[in-house]
Amino acid sequence: MRPIRPYVRLGCPAWSIDIFCYAVLNGVSAPNCRIARCRGPVSPLCKMPLMTLPRSRSVGALLLGLIFQCCSARAAPPDAAANFARYTKDVQPLLAQYCFQCHGDKKQEGELTLAAFKDAASIGRAHKTWEKVFDRVAEGEMPPMGKPKPSEQETKLLKDWLGAQLDSGIKDPGRVTIRRLNRNEYNNTIRDLVGIDFKPADDFPSDDVGEGFDNIGDVLSLPPLLMEKYLAAAEKIMAVAILTEPTKAQVNKISGRKLKGDAMGERIGERAKSLSSNGELYGEFDFTLPGDYNLRIKAYGDQAGGEPAKMTVKLDGKELKTFDVKAVAAKPHEYSYRVTSSAAGKRKVAVAFINDYYQPDDPNPNNRDRNLIVVGVEVEGPLDVDVRTLLPAYKKIFTVVPKPDGSDKEESARTIIRTFASHAFRRYARPEEVERLMKFYRASQQEGESFEQSLQYALQAVLVSPNFLFRIEADPTGNQPKRIEEFELATRLSYFLWSSMPDDELFKLAATNQLRHGDNLRLQVARMLKDRRSLALVDNFAGQWLQIRNLNTVTPAKTTFPNFDDQIKADMRTETEMFFEHVMRDNCSVLDFIDGNYTFVNDRLAKHYGMPGVSGKEFRKVSFTDNHRSGILTQGSILTITSNPTRTSPVKRGKWILDNILGAPPPPPPPNVPDLNEGQAGEKVGSLRTRLELHRANAICASCHAKMDPLGFGFENFDAIGQWRTKDGKYDVDSSGVLPSGQKFKGPAELRAILKENRDGFCRCLAQKMSTYALGRGLTRSDRGYIDEIASSLQTNEYRFSSLVMAIVRSEPFQMRGVKKEAK
Amino acid sequence: MSVNRNIPRRTVLRGLGAALALPLLEAMSPSGFMSSSARAAAKITAPQRMAFCYIPNGAHMPDWTPTAVGADYELPYILEPLKPFKNDLLVLTNLMQDQAAAHGDGGGDHARASSCFLTGSHVVKTSGADIKVGISADQVAAAAIGDRTRLPSLEIGCEAGGQAGNCDSGYSCAYSSTISWKSSTTPAPKEINPRLVFERMFGGGSSEEADASRVRRLQRKTSILDYVQEDAKRLQAKVGGADNRKLDEYLTAVRELEARIQRNETLKRVAAPKNYEPPAGVPKEYPEHLKLMSDLLVLAFQADVTRVSTFVFANDGSNRSYPHLSISEGHHELSHHGGNKDKQAKIRQINQFHITQFADLLEKLKGIKEGEGSLLDNCMIVYGGGISDGDHHNHDKLPILLAGRGGGTIKPGRHIKYEKTPLNNLFLSMLDRVGVPTASLGDSTGKLNDLS
Repeated sequence: MRPIRPYVRLGCPAWSIDIFCYAVLNGVSAPNCRIARCRGPVSPLCKMPLMTLPRSRSVGALLLGLIFQCCSARAAPPDAAANFARYTKDVQPLLAQYCFQCHGDKKQEGELTLAAFKDAASIGRAHKTWEKVFDRVAEGEMPPMGKPKPSEQETKLLKDWLGAQLDSGIKDPGRVTIRRLNRNEYNNTIRDLVGIDFKPADDFPSDDVGEGFDNIGDVLSLPPLLMEKYLAAAEKIMAVAILTEPTKAQVNKISGRKLKGDAMGERIGERAKSLSSNGELYGEFDFTLPGDYNLRIKAYGDQAGGEPAKMTVKLDGKELKTFDVKAVAAKPHEYSYRVTSSAAGKRKVAVAFINDYYQPDDPNPNNRDRNLIVVGVEVEGPLDVDVRTLLPAYKKIFTVVPKPDGSDKEESARTIIRTFASHAFRRYARPEEVERLMKFYRASQQEGESFEQSLQYALQAVLVSPNFLFRIEADPTGNQPKRIEEFELATRLSYFLWSSMPDDELFKLAATNQLRHGDNLRLQVARMLKDRRSLALVDNFAGQWLQIRNLNTVTPAKTTFPNFDDQIKADMRTETEMFFEHVMRDNCSVLDFIDGNYTFVNDRLAKHYGMPGVSGKEFRKVSFTDNHRSGILTQGSILTITSNPTRTSPVKRGKWILDNILGAPPPPPPPNVPDLNEGQAGEKVGSLRTRLELHRANAICASCHAKMDPLGFGFENFDAIGQWRTKDGKYDVDSSGVLPSGQKFKGPAELRAILKENRDGFCRCLAQKMSTYALGRGLTRSDRGYIDEIASSLQTNEYRFSSLVMAIVRSEPFQMRGVKKEAK
Repeated sequence: MSVNRNIPRRTVLRGLGAALALPLLEAMSPSGFMSSSARAAAKITAPQRMAFCYIPNGAHMPDWTPTAVGADYELPYILEPLKPFKNDLLVLTNLMQDQAAAHGDGGGDHARASSCFLTGSHVVKTSGADIKVGISADQVAAAAIGDRTRLPSLEIGCEAGGQAGNCDSGYSCAYSSTISWKSSTTPAPKEINPRLVFERMFGGGSSEEADASRVRRLQRKTSILDYVQEDAKRLQAKVGGADNRKLDEYLTAVRELEARIQRNETLKRVAAPKNYEPPAGVPKEYPEHLKLMSDLLVLAFQADVTRVSTFVFANDGSNRSYPHLSISEGHHELSHHGGNKDKQAKIRQINQFHITQFADLLEKLKGIKEGEGSLLDNCMIVYGGGISDGDHHNHDKLPILLAGRGGGTIKPGRHIKYEKTPLNNLFLSMLDRVGVPTASLGDSTGKLNDLS
């Protein structure tokens, strides 16, 4: 749908644009330079991969020189008057001839009028409009089918002027409004800051969503209700993170009859279990931390045969000790063994009966049968330590421990507060900030509270400070955009890829100003994408880009789809998440999203899809053998969220593709036009397609539905819960269509092929979505050039996922901060 | 008629009287010595509460609007479940929220309907920054009388805001999921988890917590708030533009919280009712969810935790299906009925179901004795939505009910028909009755003089 854009040259020789492309792609910035953007067929120089191009200082300097040479040629703003003269002479007559009929004074379809431009200023203000017009004209969508079209020469004239108009916009890295941590970010940050993953933000009110994401600085509000929750959460977090009393070793008990194992035996009384022949019982115990543990087994024997019952105690199958169990039923005994466990986690403690004796003929009835009776097993530990000090939260917070005599208590407190606040503020805490926090410590000390209690108080304050709750960035001092500080860059990176705070490595690099040094940025991004924490990018970016979070709220009708349940819903979500994760982790081509011939299923989902030969509930990667499914568009999640409860909605599916794959959202429907009218005519007029076609006969609806509906029809072979079908009720499914460009397709595979052919549009859309998410602000007209660059960087790097992330991270909007504009 | 008459929780609510310190009882004490004129005075001093229940996607108006006007009218199909409360109720016809109409902004009627409902203001069409509408009627009241209770206001609902994407034709999700607006730019989000509502109402801490330690905790919170206020002010000196707006929001929140903490020190503590089991979380079934939320609303009014509340049954544009009514299509999808009789039948069924929930709320309020009368007598509960016919998205002729007697200042039991009157006029009349006289709000043109 988006053909490659014409090369826009404005007085610059072609090579200067090439060099500009090279410079921007490689992070050489020329922020004040107003230059034609790199559009369309990229020159060989541009095509050189981002990471492999030699970057020596002298080359960089040379290039910069060239750029500025070029800039000087273009230093003056385009002559607005001349542009307007061209408009009145050439452009306006064309618009009047071909567009005004629908977008003029009388009619404003799609809320667009082109007749209102009477002077240069009004033309200058209407950047967004010209952008739209450029796209529609370039894509051949406008004028619509059936209306007279301009000649090739006229089209070129129009596009040339529009291109010049668009490029008169100045590039500006933009300025993101300080961002409050959203719920996910708050949870993750607390997890990484205090080492406890207990998700306090789950009780916070849901975050405001704007621009399609819930991390947009401007949109995230802070109502008093949330403040109340912050305050309560800080108290709770510190109560859990800093335990004020020494903690005793934990004791875990399992009674004999609840032990597992298939040894022969029977229940004795309420708790005990007897082993009547050689065999083993075991229980799984939590060894919370490495350390010494006491294993205690309360047992006795039915004694017979001249020796006491023997019991071997094992830990994870390893024999520790064999006891002679001389105790009898009247007085069971506790047999204990101390063991050092170097690992933490679940471990098996087993008790084996090893000397069974059975002589039923023995004349002495008390000497016929020897059994071992296990009353219970308990594990105590870790021993001899203040367990508090072994907890991750303690280790994170108590970076120093005051001497037993307390002589350096205050200094230790200061160090602890400084370290904690520095991590929480994602930069070094300033001395005066630390001193202000020390007041809490001292106040608490004066009230006679313990070291720990006093710190609890001070650190609570840190967690409510705006320096923690907001990601603050310093504004440029002059009136030029500036590169952000490395701490700020580390923070942008970590919240982009992890939805959390920078870890120690990032913090250290930023602290020493090494994050941008050499190849560090690329290495860090690669490391971060490999790290587990990048699952946040799957949850938060993919979850919102693809809108699969909306799966929570869709409810396919039970009557129509009796087999659809929460389980299959969860499976669908897992499929899409794993697919995205795979593309991310294996650095696949992002075009896999459109037609990667594989997916991830378990037995339930495979059955749902009608794929044979998959058993077990674990998900695994499978390749498709038919031509039905490929990429994300045919995954159950997407097909379900774009359907109505009882039926598919080609309109919703088409709109979803325009919004999220092609980046060409249709304008909202005009007011007071009812949705698809199933009413009066209803079933009488035929299939859903027929009814939609009737709908499209309405001229007001036609122009947008001509774009949405065919895309949706391409997926009509999938019902409202993503199952393959060839019939829709009594009608045969017809999944063919014609796009406004005239491209024809039959079925999902051909439509996918068309979408893939138009990969340009997809790359730009993905670049837009991910940039919005990464920057935490809506994109503006001055970002358009950056987006083109990011998209073309994908092209030059085989569409690798990491090159997308890298290009965003290297882009000026990510690296820089613009000048503040006063609040309106 | 299908008001469920057998809900154990309601019995609990009735029994709560003993466990809770009732505001009116305080006002009347020592009750034994009160003359009849003093009782009359006490009747007036009983706190007046206001609540706003919101229903999405309009209503099937032919089955909503009574034909006759005045006291002698028949309840149409949708309103039938309200029969026991006909004399506690006003049906107000032809009120409008004109600012919810497009006025050149194109689609997005659902987002506009909800954000305009209590504000009477035209929202700024944006999907991101610069959300702006106007302060809502409930928040006008909360700002003025909220300091008398533990919570200035309580915003609850049964549907969370949008989770991804835009919610309605280029409008921020804040618009379609919020009817309460603290200021023109700060939405007051609703709480949908009954457990969290309960905790807010009665405090998270255990009720046995010693007073001394409670006071100290509050003092500490206050000093922390002082400290962070200082932090925010220092930041404000450094940042600019939109950042300042955000920090203003932060500071406003801090100040409000501070005030609330101070209030909590002086106000008598409201204990959680002993025989009421705190709710566990969000019930899976929608009717149960609605019921639990309305219980909490009643509890909040009864215990005087707050006097102002909004209760969103479902967000406008909600496409939820109603399987328990055997309706498998989504509500929004159905609301575009295009004249189809089957669809209209289902819509009115959904409308009646919501009314049943409202009747249940009224029954609970009426069942609680307060002074000479019932809690309902000291309430004004608006019930309605910002869209009339879901198929046309028109914002005039709205479905609006007003229940309760406003402490004897309202004469219910009638159907009143207006001519193109702003809904905000009703709100101004209500604000008068809670002691917050307000000259104008949104597009108001005056007051409704025929309520009493």
